[in-house]
Amino acid sequence: MPGATATPDIELIIEDSHGGGGGIRPPGGGDDGDDGERGKHQPDRRPSPRRFSTGIAIGMLSILMFFMALASAFLLLHHSSRVWVAVRLPRILWANTAVLLGSSFTLERARLRLSQGDVSGFRKLWFVTTVMGLLFVTGQLVAWRELVNQGVYVASNQASSFFYIFTGAHGVHLLGGVVALLFVLLRNFEKSQISRSLAAEITSYYWHFMDGLWIFLFALLYLSR
Amino acid sequence: MYSICLPQSFGLFHKGRGLGDSKPSMVTYDSGENHSEIPRKGFFSRYLFSTDHKTIGLQYLWLALFSVFLGMMMSLVMRIHLVWPGAHLPFFSALGNTPEGYALLRLLHGSLMVFLVLTAAPQAGFGNYFLPLQIGAREMAFPKLNLFSFWATVASVFGMTGAFLMAPQKGITLWIAGVSIFCAAALCSALNFAVTTIDLRTKGMTLPRLPLTVWAWFLNAILGMLVFSILLAACLCLLSDRFFSTHFFSAVDFLASQPASAAPDALPALWQRLFWFFAQAEVYLAMLPCFGIVSHLIATFSRKPVWKERLVVLALCGVGLVGFCVWGQHMFSSGMNPFSPMVFSVLASSLGLPASILLISWFVTLWDARIRFNTSLLFALGFISLFLSGGLSGIFLARHDLGSGAVTEDFVTGHFHLVMGVAATFAILAALFFWFPKLFGRRLNEFLGKLHFWLTFAGVYVVFMPMHWLGLVSHLAKSRGASLAAIAAWVGPTRSFITVGIVLTVFAQGIFLINFLWSVFRGEKVEECNPWRATTLEWSVSSPPPADKLGAWEAVVYRGAYEFGLPGLAEDFIPQNVAPDRVVKAN
Repeated sequence: MPGATATPDIELIIEDSHGGGGGIRPPGGGDDGDDGERGKHQPDRRPSPRRFSTGIAIGMLSILMFFMALASAFLLLHHSSRVWVAVRLPRILWANTAVLLGSSFTLERARLRLSQGDVSGFRKLWFVTTVMGLLFVTGQLVAWRELVNQGVYVASNQASSFFYIFTGAHGVHLLGGVVALLFVLLRNFEKSQISRSLAAEITSYYWHFMDGLWIFLFALLYLSR
Repeated sequence: MYSICLPQSFGLFHKGRGLGDSKPSMVTYDSGENHSEIPRKGFFSRYLFSTDHKTIGLQYLWLALFSVFLGMMMSLVMRIHLVWPGAHLPFFSALGNTPEGYALLRLLHGSLMVFLVLTAAPQAGFGNYFLPLQIGAREMAFPKLNLFSFWATVASVFGMTGAFLMAPQKGITLWIAGVSIFCAAALCSALNFAVTTIDLRTKGMTLPRLPLTVWAWFLNAILGMLVFSILLAACLCLLSDRFFSTHFFSAVDFLASQPASAAPDALPALWQRLFWFFAQAEVYLAMLPCFGIVSHLIATFSRKPVWKERLVVLALCGVGLVGFCVWGQHMFSSGMNPFSPMVFSVLASSLGLPASILLISWFVTLWDARIRFNTSLLFALGFISLFLSGGLSGIFLARHDLGSGAVTEDFVTGHFHLVMGVAATFAILAALFFWFPKLFGRRLNEFLGKLHFWLTFAGVYVVFMPMHWLGLVSHLAKSRGASLAAIAAWVGPTRSFITVGIVLTVFAQGIFLINFLWSVFRGEKVEECNPWRATTLEWSVSSPPPADKLGAWEAVVYRGAYEFGLPGLAEDFIPQNVAPDRVVKAN
C-alpha cells in the first residue's frame, strides 16, 4: 500500500465512535417507548423491535399484490370468458363479514384496555377476538359446504374456481392472523424481544388488513354476480 | 493511513488468526468477555444452518456458481445439437434425443440461469453478505427467515432439476412447484433486505449517505416484494389447474365440450399477462443490483465521486418503477387491446431515460480519472459495453410496430442474452473480483483474471452479435416468402460459427474456475482490511470478517459513501466512518 503510515488517529477514532456525529437514532434500544418496561436490558445490540412493524407493513404490500394478481385475473376472465357462470353467494357470507368486522372492533377495544394498563380486560377481549376469527373461518367452511351441496365444486366453472381460491387464500392468510392472536394471548412477554403492546399493535395491523381485504374480495364477488 | 482499518485493533478479529497483539487501551473499548463466551459451534450450525448473513451470502454464491456451470453445459449441449443434430451427446442422448428433451433442456437452462444465477447471485449472494456490513448492521433483520429463504431456494433447485428426470407432465408440475417455492423464498429474502435497510442502519447512516449498492439492493427488494407475489399467485393458480382441475388457464378440456363459438381467446392471454408482469420486471430485478455494483466499482477505481449521485439514485428508482409497468411489451402480438401496445411501447422506450442517466454518470465518473485497470474494473467496463449494445437492440423491440414484426427467436435471444444474461454475469464477476479479498482474505489472480476477461468479452460478442443478424436475415427472408430450405442454407454457416464461438467461450470459463478455486485456498493473502482503499464500511472490518456477530464493532458514519479525491488531504479518500476532526490534512 503506497503511503500507508499508521497514525495514532485510529485509536482516537475508535474511542470516539460512541460520540455524537450522524443524525439518526442508534440501532438498538430506546425506540418508541414500547420497550420501556425492560430498561435493565444490556446496551442492546439486537436490532430495534421496529423491524417487526416495518416487516409486517412490507409483507402486507406483498400480500396485497398477491390478491391483486388474482383479482385482475378474475376481472379479465369475467369480462372475456363466454362460459362464465356466476356463483350464487351463500347468505352466511354476510354473517361472516359481520363477525370479522366485529372482531376488528373488539381487537381495538382490547388494545385500548392494554394502553390503560388493564391486562386482564385486554386478555378477555383479545380472547373474544380470537374466537371471532375462528368463527369466521368456520363460517367460510360452512359457505363452502353450502356450495358443495348445491353442486358447485372448485372445478365446476371459472367463477366457482375463483370463489374457492379467493376464500381459500384469504382463509389461509387469516389463519396466520389467528396464530398471531394466539401468540399474543399465550406468550410470556417477560423474556421476549418485543413488548406485549407492540406485538398487539403489529397483530392489529395485520388483522385489520385481513378484514379490509375480505371486504374487497367480498365486494368483488358480490358486484360481479 | 485509513488503509489500516479500524477494527484491526480489536482483539476479537485476530483471535485464532495469529495477529491478536492488540493494545490494551483498545481492548477496553471492546467489552471482551462477550466474545470469548461464544461457544464453538459444530459443523452444521456453523456452515449448513448458520443464521449468519455472511455464511448465507456465501452459500448463495456457491449455489450460483454450481448453477452457472450446469446451465452453461446445457447451453453447450443445445447449441451443438442445433448445428450437429446427429451428434451423440452424453447429456442429451440420455433424454432420448427428443424434441421434448430439447425443450426441457431449454427450460432448465433458463430457470437455472435466471433464478439461481442472475436473480440470486447479485442480490441474495452479495447483498446478504455486504448489505448489513455496508450499513453497519450486525445481521439481517430476521436471520432465521434468511436461513429459511436459503434452504427453500435449495429445495426449489431440487424441484426444478428433478423435473428434468421425470416424465414430462409430472416434471412440469414439479417444476411449477419448484418455482412457487423459489417465489416464497425470494419474497422472504426481499422482506429481510427491505426491513434491514429501513431499520438497521447504524448511527449516522442517513439515506443520502447510503452506498449506491445498498440503494440498488433496497429498491430491488421492494420490486421483488411486488412481482414475486404475482408469479406466486400465477403459479398457484397453475398448480390448482393441475391438481384440482380448475379452469384458470387450462380451460381446453372444459371448452372441448362447449360450442365452438366459446373459443378461449382470453385464456392464454391471462397467463401471458401474469407471467410477463413478473418476467419483465424480473429483468430489472437482475439488473438493478448490477447497476448499483457497477456505479460503486467505477467510483472506487477511478478515485472520483459518483457523478450526480442523487440523480443516479433517482435513475435506479426510475428503472424499478418503469420496469414494473412495462409487462405488455412482450405481448404486442398477443391480440391485446390495440391501444395498449402504444402505451407499453412508450413506457418501455422511456426506460431509456434512467438508463442514459446511469450511462452518463458512469462515463463522466470515468472521464479524466486516474483509473486503475484491474480485472474488477475491466468487468465493470465490460458490463457497460454489453449493456449498451444489448440496450440499443432493445429499442427496436420496445417499438411495437417493429417489435411485433421483428420478433424472431434469434434476435430476441441475442438481445436478451447480451443485455441481461451476459451483462449481469459481468457485473457479478466484477463484484466477485472486487469483494474477493473481503470474502476469503485472498486475492484472485490478476493475470488469469484479465485473460479470462478478454477471452469472455470477445467470446460473448462473437456469440450474440451474429444472433441479432441471424434473426433479422431470417425474418426478412421469411417475409419475402423464401422457402425454409433456402433460409437454412443461409443461416447454417452462421449457426456453426456461433456454436464454435460458444464452445471456445465455455472453455475459457475453465480459466475462471481454476483461478477461483485456486485462489480460495492458495491465493495471495490480503493482510490489510482495505486493499482497494475504498470508503464503505465493509472495508473497516478484517478480511474475512469473523464468522460470528461482529463483536464490539459499531460503526458511526460521518459522511457520504463516495468521498474520493478531495483536495488538501493526505489520502485521496475518506472512509465513511472517519469523523470530521480525524481527517488527516496533507503536509
